[in-house]
Amino acid sequence: MKKNSTTYTLSFMAVICIAFGSGIAIVNYSTQSLLLENEKMHRNRILCNAFLLDVSGQTSRAYQESVDATITFDSLIIDTRTIPVYFNAKDSSIGFVFSGFGFWDLITGIMVLTPDLSTIKNIRFFEQKETPGLGARIEEKWFTDQFKGLRINWNAPVTERVIIGASSDPDATNRVDAISGASQTSLALMKTINSELELFRKADRSEGQRSDYHL
Amino acid sequence: MNKTFIKSLWEENPVFRQVLGICSTLAVTNLLANTLFMCFGVTFVTALSSFTISLLRDYIPKRTRMIVQVIIISCFVMMVDILIKALAPDIHRFIGPYVGLIITNCIIMGRAEAFASQNKPLASLIDGFGSGIGYSMILIVIACIREPLGFGTLFGYALPFKELWWHQWTIMVMPPGAFFMLALVTWIARAYTIKPVKK
Repeated sequence: MKKNSTTYTLSFMAVICIAFGSGIAIVNYSTQSLLLENEKMHRNRILCNAFLLDVSGQTSRAYQESVDATITFDSLIIDTRTIPVYFNAKDSSIGFVFSGFGFWDLITGIMVLTPDLSTIKNIRFFEQKETPGLGARIEEKWFTDQFKGLRINWNAPVTERVIIGASSDPDATNRVDAISGASQTSLALMKTINSELELFRKADRSEGQRSDYHL
Repeated sequence: MNKTFIKSLWEENPVFRQVLGICSTLAVTNLLANTLFMCFGVTFVTALSSFTISLLRDYIPKRTRMIVQVIIISCFVMMVDILIKALAPDIHRFIGPYVGLIITNCIIMGRAEAFASQNKPLASLIDGFGSGIGYSMILIVIACIREPLGFGTLFGYALPFKELWWHQWTIMVMPPGAFFMLALVTWIARAYTIKPVKK
């Protein structure tokens, strides 16, 4: 068969595609369990950190055991959105998964609230792709620690119930410091948190399970 | 063999001599750990794709030469992507998009077209490996400057007595900081490699 003929070219391309495609499939198949395990560990690690659970070690199993012993999962549906919700059996705190656009890409995280939804207990992020060293600092302890015990001002307009950055009221109890050099990420996160809090409250109310909001 | 390796490592260094692979140089060099994984990815793909392309060079039809090269390169990139995701998921969360972009890294196509398609497999493997190491060398140097200045850490470990003297140099964590560092490193490296032309 001539090397420049159409038949040879098509056959060669088919063989190359099958051979290399199989190579990828083998690598993917052989690492599939590891990939699933990593994903599960990441989720459980974030849940443990968000709910401040005690974990005996830093293994996938330790995180899983801790989550299984304390956390239960449910989901709330509102309009077309499904909001994953986690409950802490020990202190009845509620964590809901929020997501929205940051400066560069989607930010997904979990916000843990007291049962009456008046106070934030903690915040953690599952995924974010903000600028490392700037916007990505939303994951740093000094930033997330500011949210612990933060009162949500449910009487304020939807966009100002939690404030990240400057506020007209210097004594505002619903305010945390923004990240210097990452004001766009801070603003985007504030927008996401406030709109997701509103959505979660609506969904939670429509479920009619808890109506004892402390407003 | 040694000559081929040294040539692709230094005399024809892909970054400071050929100015190739600049996108990833700017993107991942603000943290040394991320840089090392990116370097592993590029070296692995450059070496193995050069070897494979050289091995198949007599059988690849001329008119689909570049398509075959891209298929081979992209398959190795996908393998690297899966491996990093499985072995270092936290690092993959940051460098994942750039690993995919190795496919379009000019160093790999450049070595495949300029060397591997005309030379024997072993020489091509060494040439590809040398190019990967040459690329890695420059990236590691840049990361070793950017991470301490931008984050106050090196390989994730805090600099000694950081709180007493260190102040964040924000531009170093952003791509413009990499532009300055790359220009400096290129300037210094070229000063040592290019012989002055006598007028």
